[in-house]
Amino acid sequence: MTQEIKTVPFTYEALSQLEMKEGILELQIGPAHAGSGHMRILAWVEGDTVVKVDPDVGFVHRGVEKLSEDRLYIKAIPMVERPSLVDTVNANLGYVIALERLLGLEPPPRAQYIRVITAEISRIMSHLYGIAIYGIFMGSSTVFMWAVADREPFIDLLQELTGARITYSHIIPGGVRWDLPKGFADKVEVALRYLENRMKDYEKVWINNPVVVARSAGVGKLGAEDAIRLGVVGPNLRASGVKYDVRKNDPYAAYADFDFEVPTFKEGDSYSRLLIRVEEIKQSMSIIRQALKRLPEGKVIYEDYYKRMSPLMKEIYDKTGRVKFTLMLTSLSPPKGEAISRVEGGRGEMFYYLVSDGGKNPYRFRLVTPSFRNLPYFTHVMPGHKLADIPVIYGSIDYFPPEADR
Amino acid sequence: MMSFLYFIPNSWLPLLESAFYALIFPGFIAILLLAFFIIWFERKAAARVQMRYGPLWVSKRTGGIIQLLADMIRFSFQEFIVPQGADFIPFVFLPGLLLAFSVLPTVFIPIGPDYSRIFPSNYTLLLAVAFTLVIPVYLVVLGWAADNKFSFIGALREAYLLISYEVPFILAITSAFLLYGTLDLVKIVGIQESTLPGIMLNPIAAIVYVIAVIRATGRVPYDIVEADSELVFGPYTEYSSLMFGFVMGVPYIELYSYSLLFSVLFLSGWAPATGIGFLGGLILPGIVTFVKSVIVMCFLVFLRAVYPRYKLDKAVKAGWSWVFYLALIALFLSAVVSRILW
Repeated sequence: MTQEIKTVPFTYEALSQLEMKEGILELQIGPAHAGSGHMRILAWVEGDTVVKVDPDVGFVHRGVEKLSEDRLYIKAIPMVERPSLVDTVNANLGYVIALERLLGLEPPPRAQYIRVITAEISRIMSHLYGIAIYGIFMGSSTVFMWAVADREPFIDLLQELTGARITYSHIIPGGVRWDLPKGFADKVEVALRYLENRMKDYEKVWINNPVVVARSAGVGKLGAEDAIRLGVVGPNLRASGVKYDVRKNDPYAAYADFDFEVPTFKEGDSYSRLLIRVEEIKQSMSIIRQALKRLPEGKVIYEDYYKRMSPLMKEIYDKTGRVKFTLMLTSLSPPKGEAISRVEGGRGEMFYYLVSDGGKNPYRFRLVTPSFRNLPYFTHVMPGHKLADIPVIYGSIDYFPPEADR
Repeated sequence: MMSFLYFIPNSWLPLLESAFYALIFPGFIAILLLAFFIIWFERKAAARVQMRYGPLWVSKRTGGIIQLLADMIRFSFQEFIVPQGADFIPFVFLPGLLLAFSVLPTVFIPIGPDYSRIFPSNYTLLLAVAFTLVIPVYLVVLGWAADNKFSFIGALREAYLLISYEVPFILAITSAFLLYGTLDLVKIVGIQESTLPGIMLNPIAAIVYVIAVIRATGRVPYDIVEADSELVFGPYTEYSSLMFGFVMGVPYIELYSYSLLFSVLFLSGWAPATGIGFLGGLILPGIVTFVKSVIVMCFLVFLRAVYPRYKLDKAVKAGWSWVFYLALIALFLSAVVSRILW
């Protein structure tokens, strides 16, 4: 399992020695490059072989953590969604769980199930987006277009539920903002069947494509022990053979109620990182189906909050299933203390740390995103590969610069 | 045959015919129109596969077929930037030269049985192949002249691939020569007419030829030289404005001359249509040859919708291993078939 990792120590002395060496070319891939995303990849190549890679991140830093110190607790929700734009529900969920732990409240089971449904839809969209980026980085515009377009039925579903297409802000402390509309389960089933049929096309054109196998199998290998040591998370970690999923290991929301597999692969190469996303999409579909079948009745908002609503708001909730923001919700002030939460986002484990000083804004908010934790792939896995493997490894780890920069 | 042009002296007629051939069909204007069509077809076919419309809004009634014209007009109003460190003369003049050299092979490829009257030569196959092989050399110079690391790497990739795929290509051409026993393309088509199309006589040579053409014209999965997620646009990275339009068009025109050669060598050229004179010996057979090569081109550009990009080292390895072995088998097959047939 163990493998030797080619590491060039990152000191300026080592760097200057590298630059002095004859026959080494420094390449600045990005920030305005078709294969970089919102970041700069500094790569040193000797011939066609990459000897050192230094990811230069921070081009899209928004300061989510610092900005949220000036926001009301509930107003930080739209902001924590922004970094990971294709996986907003999971980002939202993690923050709200930390906030609920500060407040010491437990949302009703129906709200938990709705959270699981939207989170899994979001995971499917995130994985499809990852496959799309992988496709375009390997030069296949077809898979890029397909995977981006196949998010559409799921975006439509969440649009019907929440009114927004990308940033839903659907999960609030104590529950969710809208109950499921009528006939939602049937529409979800239609979307899932559509995707199941489409996955067969993906298998024909993309997953079993000989060029894809030739380019990605055995490329960017990371063994299980090294993956743990480097602290990579999410599907990439599972592709290296480590069976670790926050949904199983530390269940949140209603995940303890469902039975689903945590798929793992032994190889830990780029191809298995592609396959694991396909497998996880299948698992997500199964979770959504189970959740819709066993959806409990009841309120979608914390009982105490419902009781304290004005009669008009209660009437609106009973008629439409919509939670209006009361003054109490908009001016939450949790007791002094701190809370952490972890959720399994589409790209991996998301970590949230909230500190309250008893005021109306967070005293300190810390957000650790999976993309940032997957950065070791650049520094530790890319060296030793060919130049053409940089986009393959980059695409396979589903790295999303705004998420890493926060 | 051209009696309707009664006011022109007879001595001018051959000149006029050559001019027609060079400028209108299958020369410059036909190539220009074909470039319009094939780029439109590539985008439209890929769009069909990818669940989108493709070019549409420039002349919606025709499905956006004049999109390239609109692009060219836009390019011509953009600023042409020469990078400070660039080698000025090669950087500025090579795109035009590339364009000229990509058109030149079509001069030697006959489009009808009467063509030998206009360009009498026993070595048309050799000449056509020689002129197609000039282009990569200029491409390497162009990549070096731009003074950009990505251009430079693209040029090096071109050089690597050139060497590893030129050998199978030449072997495929050699096996065609061995098969037909002549270097005169008009005679080659005559032999195919009397027996079978070359693709049936030696399918392996045709396969090797197609692979080499995909490589030489940078079609997917061999768009390794201009790989956009690795090298921005390969050797052409620094080009802007109309020059970008030129260098973008070069592979398509190259593709045209390669496909024309393919339809003459392996698809029996103008096979059903034969005759003599200007109309029966050039125009009608020319249209048949043209249509055949357009079908070949359509197949080659459609690969974009199916395959991702191949990797340089694997492509080079393939070029020296199984493509090379296939080429050797094609050579052997040619020897056997030619011994059986004549």
